[in-house]
Amino acid sequence: MSAPTAPALAAGHHEPSKFHFYIQIAMILAVITGIEVVLVYLPIVKWLVVTTLILLSTVKFMFVIFFFMHLRWDKVFCTILFFIGLVLASFTMFSLMKLFASDAAKPLTAAALDFARTTLG
Amino acid sequence: MSSPAANGHLDHHHDHTTSTGIPNKKLLWWAFLASDCMFFGALISSHLVYRLNPPPGNAVPTQVFNIELTSFSTFILLMSSLLMALAVNAIQKGNVKSTRTMLLGTIFFGCIFLGGQVFEFTHFVADKHMTLSNSIFGSTFYTLTGTHGTHVAIGVLLLGMMYVRTFKPTHGGSLGRNFLHLLAFAAAAGVAFLFFVPGLLEVIEGESLRAMLSHDAKPLLLGAIACAALVWFARTSNPAVEFGEKNAIDVEAIGLYWHFVDIVWIIIFTAVYLLEYL
Amino acid sequence: MAKVITQSGFTGKEIAQPATTFSLFTRPTAKTGLVSWLTTVDHKKIGMLYGGFAILFFLIGGIEALMIRTQLMVPNNHFVSAQLYSELFTMHGTTMIFLAVMPLNAAFFNLLIPIQVGARDVAFPRLNSFSLWVWVVGAILLNVGWISHFVPSWNFGGAPDIGWFGYAPLTSKAFTPDLSTDFWVLGIQVLGVSSIVASLNFIVTIINLRAPGLTMMRLPVFTWMALVTSFLLVLALPAIAIALIMVMFDRNFGTNFFEVSGGGQPILWQHLFWVFGHPEVYILILPPMGYVSEILPTFARKPLFGYPIVVFSGVAIGFIGFGVWSHHMFTTGLGTVATAAFALATMAIAVPTGVKVFNWIGTLWGGRIVTRVPMMFALGFIWMFMMGGLSGIMHSAAPADAQQQDSYFVIAHFHYVLIGGATFALLAAIHFWFPKFFGRMVPEFWGKVSFWVIFAGFNATFFPMHFLGLNGMPRRTWTYDSNMGWNEGNLFATCGAYLLGLGMFTYFAVLVWSYFKGEKCGNDPWDARTLEWSIPSPPPEHNFAAIPTVHARDAWWYEKTHKEEIAQEKAAHIKAEESHGGIHMPDQSWYPLFAAAGLLVGAYNFAQLHYPVTMFGQQVLASHLPLAITGLGLMVAACYLWALEGPGGYHLHIDAEGKVTESRGDHH
Repeated sequence: MSAPTAPALAAGHHEPSKFHFYIQIAMILAVITGIEVVLVYLPIVKWLVVTTLILLSTVKFMFVIFFFMHLRWDKVFCTILFFIGLVLASFTMFSLMKLFASDAAKPLTAAALDFARTTLG
Repeated sequence: MSSPAANGHLDHHHDHTTSTGIPNKKLLWWAFLASDCMFFGALISSHLVYRLNPPPGNAVPTQVFNIELTSFSTFILLMSSLLMALAVNAIQKGNVKSTRTMLLGTIFFGCIFLGGQVFEFTHFVADKHMTLSNSIFGSTFYTLTGTHGTHVAIGVLLLGMMYVRTFKPTHGGSLGRNFLHLLAFAAAAGVAFLFFVPGLLEVIEGESLRAMLSHDAKPLLLGAIACAALVWFARTSNPAVEFGEKNAIDVEAIGLYWHFVDIVWIIIFTAVYLLEYL
Repeated sequence: MAKVITQSGFTGKEIAQPATTFSLFTRPTAKTGLVSWLTTVDHKKIGMLYGGFAILFFLIGGIEALMIRTQLMVPNNHFVSAQLYSELFTMHGTTMIFLAVMPLNAAFFNLLIPIQVGARDVAFPRLNSFSLWVWVVGAILLNVGWISHFVPSWNFGGAPDIGWFGYAPLTSKAFTPDLSTDFWVLGIQVLGVSSIVASLNFIVTIINLRAPGLTMMRLPVFTWMALVTSFLLVLALPAIAIALIMVMFDRNFGTNFFEVSGGGQPILWQHLFWVFGHPEVYILILPPMGYVSEILPTFARKPLFGYPIVVFSGVAIGFIGFGVWSHHMFTTGLGTVATAAFALATMAIAVPTGVKVFNWIGTLWGGRIVTRVPMMFALGFIWMFMMGGLSGIMHSAAPADAQQQDSYFVIAHFHYVLIGGATFALLAAIHFWFPKFFGRMVPEFWGKVSFWVIFAGFNATFFPMHFLGLNGMPRRTWTYDSNMGWNEGNLFATCGAYLLGLGMFTYFAVLVWSYFKGEKCGNDPWDARTLEWSIPSPPPEHNFAAIPTVHARDAWWYEKTHKEEIAQEKAAHIKAEESHGGIHMPDQSWYPLFAAAGLLVGAYNFAQLHYPVTMFGQQVLASHLPLAITGLGLMVAACYLWALEGPGGYHLHIDAEGKVTESRGDHH
């Protein structure tokens, strides 16, 4: 914390402005959003629509984190740090969905509950 | 801790006082966002889990949702993200005026998003009769989108605090003036998303402008005064401010939070809204 | 460049002219007295505060346990009512986990981490102070219910009584309408905030504030375990935060998250709770594994065996720990696939744990064992933790678990890992680092006496519970009939519990005595290996006269064996630092305390949201909401002023004789 200070980088670090780049990214994101909305109304088989929606959302997600949030140009440890949380959250979400989608997790209907109580004891 | 060099730009990607070169604040925020991934992950999971076996009597999302409005809101939030990135870009070049404009733009779009949520929720409750407690869908939907909306509102507050901070004079720091400036901002933003934007949306949906104005006359007046105050504070501030390139890390930190709130919405829009239409 | 200058407020005078700060109060500067403790940002003082509170609650939790054991001493006993019994076992668990072991670990994180990484404080000192005071708020919220037993007009419904894991739908308004559950929900929520904030701080400190030459693989094992624990905390706590929000909403706003008639499923609570709850037990045990990994090499007189694999195993345990949560739910009807998957994952986690045990044994092998008190507790840890691990692996077999679930066998298992494991290691650590932070030694004889009494009492209490459990005694049972075959086991266990209590009392009484009368010691009484032993006992405010350069693992050991090289480096560093204005130290602040106070007001009133506010028997407000909002407002205001105040700071200068002077107001 009290290491001797070196002169801040001056030479060769004047980056070209990212202004126009950000605008382009935003335009791409807007177009993708538009595609997503149209997609649900198209008469395409469901699993393909779902997969495409997830894919498009992932693309938007990656654009925002790598470009708007600057991960592309930062030290890679920031990316690792965030992805630890992201991967863990995805894994937990996936596991919970799988657990609740299984037959064992189906909530009993009133009739089935009665049957379980009376017949199975 | 290091003094900015008198000549040349600061290196905004490398902090030589830390072991990794990553500024402490940036590392803190990324670690926090990793944690927030788990937070929203658990919340979104809970909503999706309850969509697997909907009980009888549950609300039917496709009959409740207004997908045009939500798509518009998604677009708005994306644009606010753009403006946030441009604000960070501006302060990294030391351009305080541009930073202020971009911050205000981000806030403006954020308020439109929030106003859209307020409008949406009001109509879901009043017209579609879907409340927090009368169905499981209502419970999970409002809690999830409400938590996200709260995050957006906190973001708007943080952005407002940053905006006001850009006016801190180099000499004679006046805490009172800062507080009043922030108060004016909070009033303006609050009126914007609680009354102005929902009111406008009502007008678009068919209500007469006159009815809207008379209905919300008091808050709108307060909002107008608050906006006038903001303009006054900006115009009468000392041009020599203690804010510049060295504060870029703080704007960047708020930017990370704001962008994260945007990407959570990207997921919510797909998982909660779009998937219901299949 | 000109543009930068004109737009940055640069006035053409000195570059780093101090900016005027927005301050409402002047920065506190007291170094002694109450104010210095309330406004401290010094990690050592914060560590002591955590430790002091933790020991207090450890003793309270112990009394709760003795009351439980007294009730169970004989069959059909009526020492306490069934209602009070429920409060006792709930609060015993909650207190020991959240108010004793976790803050004791937090105390060691605070005391040791900055020094072990060669820094002067954590990355965000005021945030550190905030975590502490928020923790105190959480502790208050959890325990405020006890007041109802003494002052009936404070109608909180007693202390929380829903079990430390608060299963739904017991926590719904229909089954526990009293405020006790609401305070439990908010208490745990607030503690979660404290832990998350503290962990973020330590993650940044460990990764970013390391001294020159201190690569990650040269860090002390304790620091590594603290890093993994911090990651576990920030990633696991959000799950329970969401679950608690759901319970709070169900109770206060009529949502249906766990309300079956509205479409909810109580099992979701169990999942979300254990998604947090399982990593939580690794949060409890990894730091103790870290203490043991420091103590064993010191008293075996050789370096830790297999450092990289010990570190890697700790990371593996943390990682796999996120994938085993449903082993707490084997009897809930998950389905065959899910049950098998979680059983396998649970068995897998035994592997890195076993690897660590082998490495500790490898450290002892061929060493010159010095049986001082910390070593005895550490050796006890290895053996007792392993026994707890063996009953744990028995649980991992789902069919066997079907018999063991909710029986005393589980209680035996987790007390072996938590007392035999975590607590033994903590008692070892307190003994080991006591000389460092208080400058006095604890008498060996009495330390050893307390060890043997604790060891005997602990085993006498919990070993019989294995048999009680397998013979059918259920958990959380207020009493039992005399013909169940449980009488002798329970009596023996209660006698053991009193012996354990005596041992604990002896241990802490000896510590108190040592604080006042213990033999004074120098900086390195144990001839140890890590950086904290290189600085005076007790450490000065600034920790190091010169930030060390680290050349190898066990940095202090290297320094002791390369004295000349180190002396030259130190002199150069001191010169360099002084030429940059001196040793930079963070300023104290009122705002973390004020923000926590606002949170207390907000949370206390939010818990009672739907109740009217009465004063002296008269209703003053229809609901607590305005007061809750006021509390929130106070917290926000304090945080805002905190931000405006800025980090501040002052400089210390050490002259040739070692005298320290302060200077303020020059460029930072």
